[in-house]
Amino acid sequence: MSINLKGKESTPTAKRAKRRRKVGIGHYAVNVWLIFWAIISVIPMLWLILAPSKSDRNLSYKNPLSFGHISGYWHAWKNLQDFNSGVLARWVFNSITYNLAIVLIASLTASLAGFVITASKIRFKKAFLISTLIMMLVPPVALVIPLFIEMNKVNLIDNPWSVILISSLYPFGAFLSYIYYSNTIPPEIYESARLDGCSDFRLYSRIAFPLSYPLLALLAFFAFVGNWGNYFMPYIMLPSPEHYTLPVGLGALFFSTPAINPGNGATSVPILKPEIALAGILIAVPVMIVFLISQKRLVRGMLSGSIKE
Amino acid sequence: MLAPYLILLFLFGILPLIMAIFNVPSKSPSNPNGGWKVFSIVLHDFRLVPAAEHVLGFMAIFVPLMIFFVVAMSLMLDVNSAPWKKYVRLAYIVPACVSGSVAVLLWYVLLEPTLSPFKSVMHWLGITQASQIWKTQNLTFILAFMAFFALAGQWILIQFGSLQSISTEILEAARVDGCSQFQMAMRIKLPLIRKYVIYMGVLVFAGGLQIFVEPQLLNTSIYAGIANQWSFDQLSYSLAFQNGNFGEASALSLMLLVPSLIGALLVIFKTDMFEDVTLKSPKKLAKEARKREAAKA
Repeated sequence: MSINLKGKESTPTAKRAKRRRKVGIGHYAVNVWLIFWAIISVIPMLWLILAPSKSDRNLSYKNPLSFGHISGYWHAWKNLQDFNSGVLARWVFNSITYNLAIVLIASLTASLAGFVITASKIRFKKAFLISTLIMMLVPPVALVIPLFIEMNKVNLIDNPWSVILISSLYPFGAFLSYIYYSNTIPPEIYESARLDGCSDFRLYSRIAFPLSYPLLALLAFFAFVGNWGNYFMPYIMLPSPEHYTLPVGLGALFFSTPAINPGNGATSVPILKPEIALAGILIAVPVMIVFLISQKRLVRGMLSGSIKE
Repeated sequence: MLAPYLILLFLFGILPLIMAIFNVPSKSPSNPNGGWKVFSIVLHDFRLVPAAEHVLGFMAIFVPLMIFFVVAMSLMLDVNSAPWKKYVRLAYIVPACVSGSVAVLLWYVLLEPTLSPFKSVMHWLGITQASQIWKTQNLTFILAFMAFFALAGQWILIQFGSLQSISTEILEAARVDGCSQFQMAMRIKLPLIRKYVIYMGVLVFAGGLQIFVEPQLLNTSIYAGIANQWSFDQLSYSLAFQNGNFGEASALSLMLLVPSLIGALLVIFKTDMFEDVTLKSPKKLAKEARKREAAKA
């Protein structure tokens, strides 16, 4: 942001010098603000990461952003493991396996679909793309109740496959793949390969797939980031605690322990704020690592199709 | 090869809608004879108006705040490219890693005067007890700020990315003409990223309308009763799972889908966000190009 020049300067040089000085002040303020917001952005996460190092009491009495002792993490972890005979390990396992399955199925189906749409001359291409775009722009939460009714009909409630299959519908991924294949592989390749009698599947496995590693990384990134912290869908579809994912489990920890609600009465294992914070870390930190590593993918993916590189 | 995706699209994109539509006229205690008047029953539900007030109030803060803040921040980031800004951008992405139940946990902490990293600021403002903040009437602001904080950072990066698509020649030409940084941002960069801002607006709007997890968790697990049937989705959830009235729940879900659908169609057909996706026929594109030429002349 710069400041408009007013006043009477006699020479152009003086004008320029003044402008530079004023711009300097404006820049300074902008930069301070940018850095200030960066600090505000990381403080809550910093609190979360530091919290399990302190005891429940010290969380209130010590400086909120101070470090307690490394043994705090171990202590909180042990308590969490003792909660309801180790159900937390089950939640971690569930979260990892469900998400692995979702990322695999979603990325594969989406990249195949994007490839076929680009490579072969199928009918209804436009209808396909429009329906994919609509699905992509409508928030998934909007369909949760209708999906529940459907899953209830086919008796898949409380079966992890309900969440895995529903979350594997990946219109954004299909769209990304379509953009990727139409921008990276020249159509002549498809045509000449087809003239040589190459089937679509061979074309995909021999030519397109080896060229798709950047795409697959992008697909896996968005599928993981979008599903790892998902709460509503597993919360509704999987009511038994042994099928919970970590985010749903964390919600249950709030609900059933005195950590946040002293009114809940004590549990047999001390689940207090450090333990809850550690469970929060298990959910937030994997996503943070993925985000920090592939920050550029986020931007490239969200803008693909409208910006040419 | 297209089949696996198409099957998923049909099973989990189209079929649930068909089933929901068929579910609407089913018989229920509130609609003993069945039939389509269930839409009017839902619209006259005494809980719908408060939910609408809450969600619309929430959106009235959240959506403009998001758009204004994200655009301003991305323009500020784009003023020049200092190396340190790379780290600032990394920091902005951090709140995006916190969603759903973790976000609720963190906001419980942030707004709890005994725990908060901002407790000195809160004490300075005279807030010493959480009950001063956590009231149903404040929830609109709190939830709007929660949603804003979670989403702003990633959208700043995305809009910053869209600013990088502006050709350097245009910017150079403006600079030579004596355009100040502020004028450059307002007169040149902003109009050029307009479609991305609309894209963001639609996604943010559609997502905001479906707010569920935060009020639901706050209500059930932290401050009991603070957000009972606070949002549309909570109401539809409670119709389905507490009253067992799937007809009304489906009707409400379908009604809520309409604004999202309109938003999606708006982005697809009324902006040129996806025009490269051959959604427009070559004929139409040529026609539009001619129109632009004519406008220029």
